[in-house]
Amino acid sequence: MILADRKSGVIVAGATGRQGLFHIGLMNDYAREVGGTGVVAGVTPGKGGQEAAGVPVYNSIREALREHDAQASVIFVPASAAGDSIMESAANGLELAVAITEHIPVHDTMKAINYARLYGTTVIGPNCPGLISPGEAKLGIMPAHLARPGPVGVVSRSGTLTYEIVDELSRAGIGQSTVVGIGGDPVIGSTFTDILARFERDPTTKAVVLVGEVGGALEQEGAASTSLPLVAYIAGVSAPPDKRMGHAGAIVEGGEGDARSKIRALEGMGIAVASRPSEIPDLVRPYL
Amino acid sequence: MKLREFEGKRVFAEAGIPVPRGRVIRPGDEPGDLDEFGDEVVLKAQVDVGGRGKAGGVVICPTAEAPARAGDLFGTTIRGLPVTEILVEERLPIVHEYYCAVMVDRSTSQPVVLFAEAGGVEIEETAKNDPDRVRRVGISPLLSGLPPFAVRDLVGAAPKALAPIVSALYRAFLANDAILAEINPLAILEDGRVMAVDAKVIVDDNALARQGIAQNRDLSEREREAERHGFSYVELDGDVGVVGNGAGLTMATLDLIEHYGLRAANFLDVGGGADRERVAHAVRLLALSPGVRVIIVNLLGGITRCDEVALGIVDAGVRQRIIVRMAGTNEEEGRAILGEHGYEMYGSMDEAVAAAAGGTR
Repeated sequence: MILADRKSGVIVAGATGRQGLFHIGLMNDYAREVGGTGVVAGVTPGKGGQEAAGVPVYNSIREALREHDAQASVIFVPASAAGDSIMESAANGLELAVAITEHIPVHDTMKAINYARLYGTTVIGPNCPGLISPGEAKLGIMPAHLARPGPVGVVSRSGTLTYEIVDELSRAGIGQSTVVGIGGDPVIGSTFTDILARFERDPTTKAVVLVGEVGGALEQEGAASTSLPLVAYIAGVSAPPDKRMGHAGAIVEGGEGDARSKIRALEGMGIAVASRPSEIPDLVRPYL
Repeated sequence: MKLREFEGKRVFAEAGIPVPRGRVIRPGDEPGDLDEFGDEVVLKAQVDVGGRGKAGGVVICPTAEAPARAGDLFGTTIRGLPVTEILVEERLPIVHEYYCAVMVDRSTSQPVVLFAEAGGVEIEETAKNDPDRVRRVGISPLLSGLPPFAVRDLVGAAPKALAPIVSALYRAFLANDAILAEINPLAILEDGRVMAVDAKVIVDDNALARQGIAQNRDLSEREREAERHGFSYVELDGDVGVVGNGAGLTMATLDLIEHYGLRAANFLDVGGGADRERVAHAVRLLALSPGVRVIIVNLLGGITRCDEVALGIVDAGVRQRIIVRMAGTNEEEGRAILGEHGYEMYGSMDEAVAAAAGGTR
């Protein structure tokens, strides 16, 4: 298991919006189920003193940390302020900031990520579903009932496609150590390379499923960086060039980042690449 | 969103980068007095495609012939796009062509500045075959501009007059929320002046509002309509409509459609928490697209309520065959509603797409 466990205390930024309220509830349902810490406080500037889904709300992370012990934030604040929220998390010494928010301008994201690096804060996302360590902790919006504890790490640029693959694995009796959605934006705080390095240091993780898509070259870079057994799936074989496929980062630009060349590159490294999600469990099983 | 050349040059000029003197003309415009541009002019079709020069979109002619030649150019299409705007510019005596660009580097999460001593049409070949001839310097986005050492490292032994252009291009990149700002060629003229002869600027789609851009021109009318409903939508050329939730799952559905020998008509991601109304909207939007014969709905999520989705599909009331795969809360209720109305529902995406393949072959 990587990034978070049942001892991790979480602050939700953007706690009083619809999304924030709803997911504080779900995260704390999960924390109660597994005996974890869960969300200890919410933050919304100007709403200090209120309550959100059963947790106290503060005006700032700084105020929240005076009353609570927390190591991570989960960020639901609107796109125009989300970069600021990542920087606030870092400046207050949180180890981990998980940015769920979509549509953050990429210049804001670059600034926030590089600022967070100065403080040693790990950023997951933006435009991501967060992470779950089955039986330990859930930070974000992944549906918890699909995941089972086990030896396979999952790292993905996607949301629902990750749930699909986790569901396939769980149905096949293959549990997960941690499932991480790194986000669908072109610039993200933690790449495949970063997450794979953590899985490599994690004694419970025996193999990793890498779920990529069109755009960029992070899949090949990640695969080349690790000695862990990998199984990959790349979405977007049928995606036309120069069209953004839902995610800001899912675009074949200047003839680069198409799915077939990624698949060729991965297969060239000896990695099994599934041609559809349902093939993944059988490809992973030999490594367990 | 891609800016057109003349818009990109306006952005460059604002940042202090010299650009050729010129004017945009549209069909029916009086071109007016072009003599101020000298004896010869360049007519450049303002279409949003690459390889414009090779496709006949750039014409060099004596100034006196310019109105007639522009008239001809307006009647043509460049790689399928009609020419509705032409940039008329002075023709410049170029001695050497350099290349300079700033872009977002996904691998390092920083901007990267590129500079090459040999610019022009062959730059892509150079970048591929001889990457060392393109100098690259990554810049911390926490800085408000290029530090002098970076400019020295980029420009190297090239003329010093290029240095302020490189700095200005970086400022333009920051000020315009660009994901790419490129000058190719960056020209040195006979008289020693430096000039951005072409301009390519792509603005981050997530920053259009704060850049004062009301409408994303890169999207079709139907794609914009979908965006207003909060959908991500891309038109394709097949006959199988697709509604999915989440970009990755929707792409995977498209790929599965291809895997089964079918062709998708579109990519439509309804986004999170799809409810009755959104699903009905999405299905109707696809049903109205020309050539859609069958629609596959593939929704997965812990919080998606299958009974809501089923009601949305029934509400849409379209004539095409609809094949549904969904998983989530109230799956049984959803299946009952769909069954009552004669719709097909499957438990896995493989089964759903296979059913479409069986039925349309």
